[in-house]
Amino acid sequence: MNPIEADRLTRRFGKTVADDAISFSVRPGETYGLLGPNGAGKTTLVRMLTTLLAPTSGTARVAGYDVVHQKGKVRASIGTVSQAETTDENLSVRENLSIHGKMYGLWGKRLSQRIERRLRQVGLWEKRDQITRTLSGGMRRRLEIARGVLHSPHILFLDEPTTGLDPQSRRGVWEMLGDLKERDGSLAIILTTHAMDEANYLCDRVAILDQGRILCEDGPEALKRSLPTGEHVRIETERPIEAADRDAILALGAVNWRCPVPTSAEFEARPGEGIGRRAAQLVEERGYEILHLTISPVTLEDVFFAYTGRALREDS
Amino acid sequence: MGAASPSSALPRAAAGGERTLGVSRGPRLALLGILAICQRAYLTLWRQPVLIISTMLFPVIYLLVLGNSLNRQLSHIPLAVVDEAGNSLSVESRRAVLALEGGRDLVTLAFPADREEALRDLRRGRYRGVWILPHGLSANGPGPAFIGDNTDRPSYDALDAALTDVWSDVTGRRRPAADPAHLEAYPYLDYLTYLGPAVVCLAIFMGSMVAGGLQVIEDRMYGYHEGYLVTPVSTGAIVTGHMIAGALVAGLAGAFVLLAIMLFTPLPMTTPEALGGGLVTVFLTALAISALWFLLFARARKTSVLRGMFGIINVLIFFPSGALYPVESYPKWLRVLSDIDPLTYGITALRDLLLRGSPVSSCYSEWMFLLTFTLVCGVLTQVLFRREV
Repeated sequence: MNPIEADRLTRRFGKTVADDAISFSVRPGETYGLLGPNGAGKTTLVRMLTTLLAPTSGTARVAGYDVVHQKGKVRASIGTVSQAETTDENLSVRENLSIHGKMYGLWGKRLSQRIERRLRQVGLWEKRDQITRTLSGGMRRRLEIARGVLHSPHILFLDEPTTGLDPQSRRGVWEMLGDLKERDGSLAIILTTHAMDEANYLCDRVAILDQGRILCEDGPEALKRSLPTGEHVRIETERPIEAADRDAILALGAVNWRCPVPTSAEFEARPGEGIGRRAAQLVEERGYEILHLTISPVTLEDVFFAYTGRALREDS
Repeated sequence: MGAASPSSALPRAAAGGERTLGVSRGPRLALLGILAICQRAYLTLWRQPVLIISTMLFPVIYLLVLGNSLNRQLSHIPLAVVDEAGNSLSVESRRAVLALEGGRDLVTLAFPADREEALRDLRRGRYRGVWILPHGLSANGPGPAFIGDNTDRPSYDALDAALTDVWSDVTGRRRPAADPAHLEAYPYLDYLTYLGPAVVCLAIFMGSMVAGGLQVIEDRMYGYHEGYLVTPVSTGAIVTGHMIAGALVAGLAGAFVLLAIMLFTPLPMTTPEALGGGLVTVFLTALAISALWFLLFARARKTSVLRGMFGIINVLIFFPSGALYPVESYPKWLRVLSDIDPLTYGITALRDLLLRGSPVSSCYSEWMFLLTFTLVCGVLTQVLFRREV
């Protein structure tokens, strides 16, 4: 049984359709990314799955429980880290966890042991008595995550876990999440993000969301490889490449051939098939001298662009 | 959970036995949830000293300023006496008025030359009253004339009464057949002490606003609430938790002020029984008021709602309660408001206990009302409360 099964989940706000018949499932132990620009319907989807919002239509089961009719059981099985900071800034790190743990029925020694374990895991044990207000943004986020997993949930929801953090803190949060997964292989994580690198780094599978629909869903590598134009190649030679040689390269699978200047050729290719490398070899074998060669790896940004026809950050 | 629990189908990690799922349900979880909310309210209060100071100091300052400014014995009322008669009776009258000034400082006297000047100054607010002793003043007439500034009713009444007495004394007409008996059922109380119980309730009111109403809206605004809503604790327990948390903070403020007035004002009753009954009353009143706040703001999302409504709520709850003036003299519509105002019952119970030394059992009916009020508000809140964000 999958930790999350969503079946044609739909949410309307008046005439706006935030999520339009979204179906997907998350497998045990998987990290699943919902990738999309702001307003794509990611947060609404997470709110429905975490029982904070009732779907207009469709159903979803989280940890096997229906999100409408078995809210209590769903809540007991999940941990959430919201976009908003839901820890109290006036309390100490430990007090925040102590209060939250009680809301899951934890108490006494068991509670304090868990608090210690989780705080050590996120690297905040030394700061346990510090008032939350004085923590840096990254530390605060790590505290939120420690709180989300305090009761050892089956499923952890992370809504934009690194938005607003500096690159170093982001990296810290990513490593911490990786560490968390390593210790608890059955923990399924579902995260929303509009950062391609984050989805690429953390997720086993990614669904690209736009305007309330899932456009595609697969592992980050598979998604990239599925693009016929994902790999960008540029070859600069000492003399222009002749037509016959160009045709040989196109025969390898290159597309969109163009020469901005006579001695520089640019084309795209399906990623993962080594077309750029083989083209460069071919050029050298035919007696050209390569002055400069660039093969840019495809990114999830390209995938998003390929599916929506616009860049992800344009409206974010 | 049945044998076919879906959770058992989930693979478990090495530490999987620790899963919380299904471990805590029902009453234990509800209790822990309530405890958690109270713990947070309590800790938050102590981390924000401004809140404590304003919650606890406000009522005390209120007591000191209001108690000392309102309903004091009047003194130093400026009075002009115009003696046009110049006979022995007028001299005697003037002497008697001088005694009012020298004795209990009721008046500050002036003797302007003529009535035109005196009346002109009365209209300019220099005097509260002018007492004219006309030509040919005599016990059989003409008598003295009092022209008073009736915009200031208390001073007018005091001068009128005092000057009537003076004239009766001077003319020897004041000898009633027998003095009626006046007995006070309780030891002497000044207004400041009379206000004491009201100020305890004011502290509760302020405290529950800060810790109850305001806190709930702020939680919702800043997203802390979401942290509660995603947990398995039931809505009923969350509502109860907030109500009790608000009541604890408000009750703490009330108890502090109760102790303060027992120590520093000449309250007649400071027995352990009065203190115990007082503390119970304080807590029950706090519970009822914080339930009311929570009901009013069950759906509010912005503190501006509170800001806009605070004045109105303050007037609707504090003034009809009989805190400042006896309820019996209110018009009918105001009495209806007073009858459903939980503060009325808190103040009545506290006055019985602290001023009259009544036994605790005399407060049972008030306590019952406060509990019922809390329960009704709690149930309504739970219906209105939205678990969605």
